[in-house]
Amino acid sequence: MDCQAEVNCGLHLVIQTSSLPEKNKVEFRLNKETSSFPGRLLQHDLERNYSSRQGDHINLVSSSMPSFPILQRSSEEKILYSDRLTLERQKLTVCPVIDGEEHLRLLNFQHNFITRIQNISNLQRLIFLDLYDNQIEEISGLSTLRSLRVLLLGKNRIKKISNLENLKSLDVLDLHGNQITKIENVNHLCALRVLNLARNLLSHVDNLTGLDSLTELNLRHNQITFVRDVDNLPCLQRLFLSFNNISNFESVCCLADSASLSDITFDGNPIAQESWYKHTVLQNMMQLRQLDMKRVTEEERRMASLVAKKEEEKKRESHKQSLLKEKKRLTINNVARKWDLQQHRVTSIATNQDRKDTDSPSQDSCQMDGSTISAFPEETGPLDPVLTNALQGLSVTDTHLVEVEGDTLSLYGSGALESLDRNWSVQTAGMVTTVSFTFIEFDEIVQVLPKLKMKFPNSLHLKFKETNLVMLQQFNALAQLRRIDQLTIDPQGNPVVNFTLWKYYVLFRLSHFSMQKINGTEVTQNDMIMAERLFGILAHVASSELPQYRVISILGDARKKQFRYLQETKGKKPGIVNEENNDSKRLVGENTNRAMLNYTTRDFYNEKLEEIKEKKKFCQMYIEDLVKEATEINKKNEALQKLWPQMFIELVRDAVIEIRSKNSYMKLCLQQITDQK
Amino acid sequence: MLKLGSYPGQRMLSPERLALPDYDYLAQRHVLTYMEDAVCQLLENKEDISQYGIARFFTEYFNSVCQGTHILFREFSFIQATPHNRASFLRAFWRCFRTVGKNGDLLTMKEYHCLLQLLCPDFPLELTQKAARIVLMDDAMDCLMSFSDFLFAFQIQFYYSEFLESVAAIYQDLLSGKNPNTVIVPTSSSGQHRQRPAVGEASLPEGVEASLFSQCLENLCDRHKYSCPPPALVKEVLSNVQRLTFYGFLMALSKHHGINQALGALPDRGDLMHDPAMDEELERLVMRSRLHRTSRQHRATEPGAFGFQRRDKLEAPENMLSASAPTPYPYRWEPRE
Repeated sequence: MDCQAEVNCGLHLVIQTSSLPEKNKVEFRLNKETSSFPGRLLQHDLERNYSSRQGDHINLVSSSMPSFPILQRSSEEKILYSDRLTLERQKLTVCPVIDGEEHLRLLNFQHNFITRIQNISNLQRLIFLDLYDNQIEEISGLSTLRSLRVLLLGKNRIKKISNLENLKSLDVLDLHGNQITKIENVNHLCALRVLNLARNLLSHVDNLTGLDSLTELNLRHNQITFVRDVDNLPCLQRLFLSFNNISNFESVCCLADSASLSDITFDGNPIAQESWYKHTVLQNMMQLRQLDMKRVTEEERRMASLVAKKEEEKKRESHKQSLLKEKKRLTINNVARKWDLQQHRVTSIATNQDRKDTDSPSQDSCQMDGSTISAFPEETGPLDPVLTNALQGLSVTDTHLVEVEGDTLSLYGSGALESLDRNWSVQTAGMVTTVSFTFIEFDEIVQVLPKLKMKFPNSLHLKFKETNLVMLQQFNALAQLRRIDQLTIDPQGNPVVNFTLWKYYVLFRLSHFSMQKINGTEVTQNDMIMAERLFGILAHVASSELPQYRVISILGDARKKQFRYLQETKGKKPGIVNEENNDSKRLVGENTNRAMLNYTTRDFYNEKLEEIKEKKKFCQMYIEDLVKEATEINKKNEALQKLWPQMFIELVRDAVIEIRSKNSYMKLCLQQITDQK
Repeated sequence: MLKLGSYPGQRMLSPERLALPDYDYLAQRHVLTYMEDAVCQLLENKEDISQYGIARFFTEYFNSVCQGTHILFREFSFIQATPHNRASFLRAFWRCFRTVGKNGDLLTMKEYHCLLQLLCPDFPLELTQKAARIVLMDDAMDCLMSFSDFLFAFQIQFYYSEFLESVAAIYQDLLSGKNPNTVIVPTSSSGQHRQRPAVGEASLPEGVEASLFSQCLENLCDRHKYSCPPPALVKEVLSNVQRLTFYGFLMALSKHHGINQALGALPDRGDLMHDPAMDEELERLVMRSRLHRTSRQHRATEPGAFGFQRRDKLEAPENMLSASAPTPYPYRWEPRE
């Protein structure tokens, strides 16, 4: 007859016993809840007669040996319950010696105070051993119990799994409520179906190989952070990981590979609080039927895959973003290298030629192939062979970059200046307050400043880096803008920053802007006064001591250049006309004595000088002619001066001679008059 | 047309002057240069000048030549053209940047060059470099220099550039043992003739012998058409030393009071920072800018459209182009068709 013992923790236990009347149902209850511990009992209390539920009559007689009591049962008991023995709540502190019970198959020591498993080696037929709720500190004394199938050691003080080598038939191993920190020494238990390690001190799960029959693994209430080896358990169906420390799916990713898993719990873990918890688990474990003790519905599965798709989308999006960033970075690097090459070429040319006549370096076409680079062997450092190869690859990417990020417009490379011609939406353009120029010649920037003024009227902060600012004079060009609050000149690529006086000059020349900050430092009243002190006389001399026509011509030049752009574009619209009027009036209102100080880019300047050459030649010739005339006249004058006395005397003499004889003179005059007619 | 014979003043008609043939006289006084330049300027600014008459233009032009303001913001070729231009330029540079020197800042050669470029955009770097070499004795060219050191050295270099080039040539000749003089003086200095420059100069005493050098320079001054320092003073400089190097000589020239005074462009070294009229003007400017700044700061708290506010004309510029300028030149404030 079979006896079925139902156990609360899901254990299904079937024990083959000898025939027993129905009414003597054996109940083994394995409690999960901790019942209050009875007080420690002294050995001499063992004599108390405590009848168990099963009604066994047990006599514990103290033997001659002071530590081990000897167990004796009455012969009726022995015949009735020949294969089972219950010593529950007997206040045992040691395992008693059990004589004459070699047929025992079930042994129950629940709820005692036993500290060591002893004196049971002779019970070699034992199938079921229950030591729940004792004080056992070490698994031992089981090496002869080769038939043992169920070993219940819950609620003890076991620190280590060991000494289970011979228990090859073990079917159920219950070690819950102990102090075990590591799963070990279980790899030989190939018949084990249920393993309970709940309420221990496990921090991780691995070393589960060899448990080929394991169907259920209970790991609740531990400190597990990651799980491994579960995919090596071919029969595992139920895995309970509630109340552990799992926070992401990667730490339990082996579960996805387990085809047999159908039931899993994660509640009470940090991962269960995450928003992506459910669908991540479902998506990764398609084979699941129950999650956290609830059936997985089709609806849930569908949701999970949807969400997973969305995640995929997001990842792709961010990947694209990072690609874009990379491209930007490469472009900027490309521009930087091109710039470097230009600069290097300039320095090598300048040493050979007269600097006065050097054209702007941007005119030189910059080839990106290695042959051009090798022409300058003195350049070391940045131009190593690896780089030239990289450059050949890079020549395919863009040569300039324009970027608008919120309130900043960034321009890299001289090609970027053309973008100012684009049709910017009023909103975008209106938001831009900072304009940053990098890897562009300042002279080129100067030419587009009018455009900048028009298209980005709110730009208050200008930043220059690697723009070849070399002269103080170049700052004069910034005066034409509407307003600048902040100016940042990066020392890299702008030699002008090395000058002691550059900040004061900027403050002086652009005093009408009342700048707040230069290169990040606040502008103080003292700075302004110092600037005025240093350069005030220059302005005064420039304005008051120049002849009027020079003043007009210089101012006129400046206006002409500004108007040039406005005329070229939609200058006919009345709106723009007013703008010009306002602009010009404003310029006059500005400190005009500074307005004398202009900047013409080298190119324009040389152009102008060329134009003047023609005029000069003409003037030279004209003056020469004048001088010739004048000297001739002078000569004649001098000659006249020399000759005059003589001539005068002759004149007088002639006249006197003529008038000597009155008569003949009268006749002569009359003759002359008639001749005239 | 100007009548060349009718200059006022007795010394104008002194016999030596009138003894020169016409072109020589004109060339010596650089009259033609100014005439050409005046006409050129006239051509360039036809429209503007036609507003107020050619006679007034010429008056202004020659007045500015006399005052020395004609070289401001002009191209280098013009500034270099005549000694008067050069001297005017030196004076203008001094006046404009005296404050920098007064402030005590020591600047590099490049920065001084920058300042020069503020007044003359295409001023060549070599001249500034040469001037710096004089101050730094051809040593570390990145060294800082004081304003007075640089200015006086620059004066010598710029005003007497051609002269200095010839002097350099002579110096090199002397160093290498070739005596430019035809007369070979068989004195102890004849030992120099056999020396070759390849034999490390470090083993020889530096430079050349002063007396020999002095002789060569005397000959140079006589031959030279360009301006050169008064020979008497040059001799004075050379008589004080036994031997001297090229840059030592130039430094001595730059430091010599007499030469500076003969040039007439700059005040004495001691008075370099002293210019009471300009200082007064400067104080006025500083005061005005202070007022401006505070009033602007007040207005800066209320930004207008685009964050920019109109600036009213607070200042009444005294002798500057006033804002009433639009009236005589109305076309300026409208777009050109």
